[in-house]
Order: sequence, then C-alpha cells, then structure tokens
Amino acid sequence: MTRTDEELVARSRSGDVDSFNQLIVRWERPIFALAYRVLGREEDARDVCQDTFLRAYRALPGFKGQAKFSSWLYRIALNLCRDWIRRQQRAPVSQMPEDVDPAALLAETEPAESIEDLVARRELSAIVADAMRSLSEEQRTAIILKEYHGMTFQEIADMQGCPLSTVKTRLYQGLSQLRRQLERRGQGMPQLVKRT
Amino acid sequence: MSETFECGDTGALVAYMYEECEPEIREVIATHLKRCEACSSEIDGLSWTRGRLQAWVPPMPELRFQMSVPAPEPGLPWWRAPLPAWAQAVAALLIFGVGLSVGLARRPATVPSQASSSQPAAVTIDTASQTDLSDLEQRLRAEMAQMRSTAATPVRQVSASDDDIMKKVEALVAQSEERQRREFTLRSVEMAREFETQRRIDMATVRETVGQFQGAAGTEIRQQREAIDRINNFIRVSQQAR
Repeated sequence: MTRTDEELVARSRSGDVDSFNQLIVRWERPIFALAYRVLGREEDARDVCQDTFLRAYRALPGFKGQAKFSSWLYRIALNLCRDWIRRQQRAPVSQMPEDVDPAALLAETEPAESIEDLVARRELSAIVADAMRSLSEEQRTAIILKEYHGMTFQEIADMQGCPLSTVKTRLYQGLSQLRRQLERRGQGMPQLVKRT
Repeated sequence: MSETFECGDTGALVAYMYEECEPEIREVIATHLKRCEACSSEIDGLSWTRGRLQAWVPPMPELRFQMSVPAPEPGLPWWRAPLPAWAQAVAALLIFGVGLSVGLARRPATVPSQASSSQPAAVTIDTASQTDLSDLEQRLRAEMAQMRSTAATPVRQVSASDDDIMKKVEALVAQSEERQRREFTLRSVEMAREFETQRRIDMATVRETVGQFQGAAGTEIRQQREAIDRINNFIRVSQQAR
C-alpha cells in the first residue's frame, strides 16, 4: 500500500524512521536533479541532497503541514544550494600536488561510452547548461522549478517569495535570453512553420 | 485574470504556453495567435527554447540515502529516571531551607555576654594566629627546600608531555594533509576527465569539419571538370562545323 507524503510525514514525526526513509526514496532523485542543475556538479549535488534530508528530519517537529512536504523540501534544498554557491565563491584555489599524475589516474577512469553518443549528449547538455548559467539566479531557479519539477506559478512564487506576475516575468525574460544565448552558440531555431 | 487580452502581454502568453490561464482567456489568446504574426512567433520561440531545455539531463547516480537513528534506550526504573527541572528546583530549595534552619538552630543564643568576655577571646585569636603563622612558615620553608632538591624532575616531565603533544599535533597535521591530498586527487581526476572529454569533442568536430571541407572541395573539382568537358565539347562542335 502506497502512503501519501502527509501520512509518511505524520508517522515520521512520531518517530518512525522507516517512514522517513520512504520519503527519502520518493524524493531523493528530484532533489538531486534540482541541486545538480543549480550547482552544476554531481558531487556537490549529492552532498546538498543528503544535507537536505538531514535538515528536513531535524526540522520535522516544526513542520506543521502549512505547505506541501515536497515544496518544503525544495525550499530547504534551494537554501542549501544558495549557501553552497556563496561558500564556493569564497573558497581559495588549490594547487596540484606534486606526486599526482592526472594521465595515470585518467587511464583508470576512462569512460566506456561511444564517442558519438558522448559527443552528442555532452554537446547538447553542455550548451544548455552553459546558456543557463548566463541567466540571473532568480530566472534560472524559476525555469528549473517550472520546466523540470512541474511547479505551478503560485508554488514558484511562494518558494521565491515574490508576486505571481514576477514569476511570469522571470520565466518570459529567462526563456527569451536563453533563446538568444542558444542562438549565439550555434543552436538557432530552425525555420518555423506558419500556424494554420 | 480579466477576460481580455492585449497584444504583446508577455505574462498572458507565458500563462497560455504553460496552460495556466483561465479557459476563457485561453480561447481569446488562441484566436489572437491565429492572426497575430508577432505573438505567434513569440510563442513558437519560447516553446522551441523549452524543447531545447529537455536536452539537459542530470546524471543518475545511485543515491540510496538512509536515515538511521540509534535505538532509544530501554525505559529506566522510576528511581533511576532523571527528575524534571521543576522537581530539581524544589529539591534544591528544600535542601537550602533545611541547611539554613540547622545553621540558625546552632547559633549561640546569648549575644549580650560577648561584651564581657571580649578580651580573652581576642587573646585566643592572637595566640592561634601566631601559631598558625609559624606553622605556615615552617611548611613553606620545607616545601621550598623540597622544590630546590627536585627542581630538575618537573622540567623533564613537562618536556616529556610536550613531546607527546607535539607528536599528536604532528599526527593530526599529517592526517589533515593526507585528507586534503586525497580530495585534491579526486578533483584533478575530474578535471583531467573533463579535459579529455573536451579533447574528444574537439577532435570529432575537427574531423567533421575536415569531412565537410573535403566534400566541398570534391564538388568544386567535379564542377570544374564538367565545365572543362563542356568547353571541350563546344570546341569540338565548332571545329566540326568549320
């Protein structure tokens, strides 16, 4: 029997750790994907994802169910991403250790993917990721929440703490700029077919 | 939302595209798009951009996070269970009160008789102080002599404990360096992988470009040959005509 998030939250609040683990299984992928798209690094996204559930578990007694559990979780993850970005901006640049041979290490971790697939996948993904980086944090987050997490305008407005009209403006301006950036990177829109 | 739509209202167009507007206004916008080239192309551009976004797929690592909480201790018997804060405060007050009342009960009740016996008491205090002072002097002298005789020993002990501390600090520093080195190694592997992937992409692009160039050159040569053939034919025909 599949329990709803609300039921699992109620059980978790009364000390049932297994119920919280079910919530983790249900939400770890979306939270990881959100963190990955915001941060751009798998390791960082993994850490943020883990931290999100840890914080959520600790804060569970204070969660009264005013918002959806998923929205609450997304909010925690976004706050952690924001902290992470700030910390990374302050982190110093390290030096390569003398006795490390990157070529030897690389040989051990050679990817097994075919070159054609690798090129196609990486090229598209890298172009979109790169173009997304040119947007402001608010525009990027609004697009990520809308496109990849299917949130409504109202949910995004609640999460970003802004009016609904601002969310629409961020989406419109973000998508428009994204289109320009993609065109600049040789990914122009093909000739349009006229509407009938 | 009002049921009117103004041409170029980007907020309404975004709501239409994401299917988050009222059905009435949706119909109005749909009708408008059929005759407005600008709004129609705006919607097409936004939709195309949304399509491109789907190419950005995150990796799918095995996460499998699990929350594990240590099992709670079995319930303690009532005589071993900790008292609540209020009970502890009451107990403290009770002990203080009992102590205060015992102290008051043992206090001498004849205060006025102190005036008549004040002189002998002062003598007693003086005598006791002198005895105490001489005892203290002797004790101090003995301790100083002992310290002089064993002056080197504590220094050796201190230095021995310093060595221990230094060893511990060195071990901690070594551990920290090792950890940093490991982290850095991981980062460098990642960077090297990125570099290699980029190199492969560049090579593939170069190969593709060279292929296109070769194709273009081949077409040009073929066209030139055809032109030469045409000229030769023309010359041959004109010579035959003469």
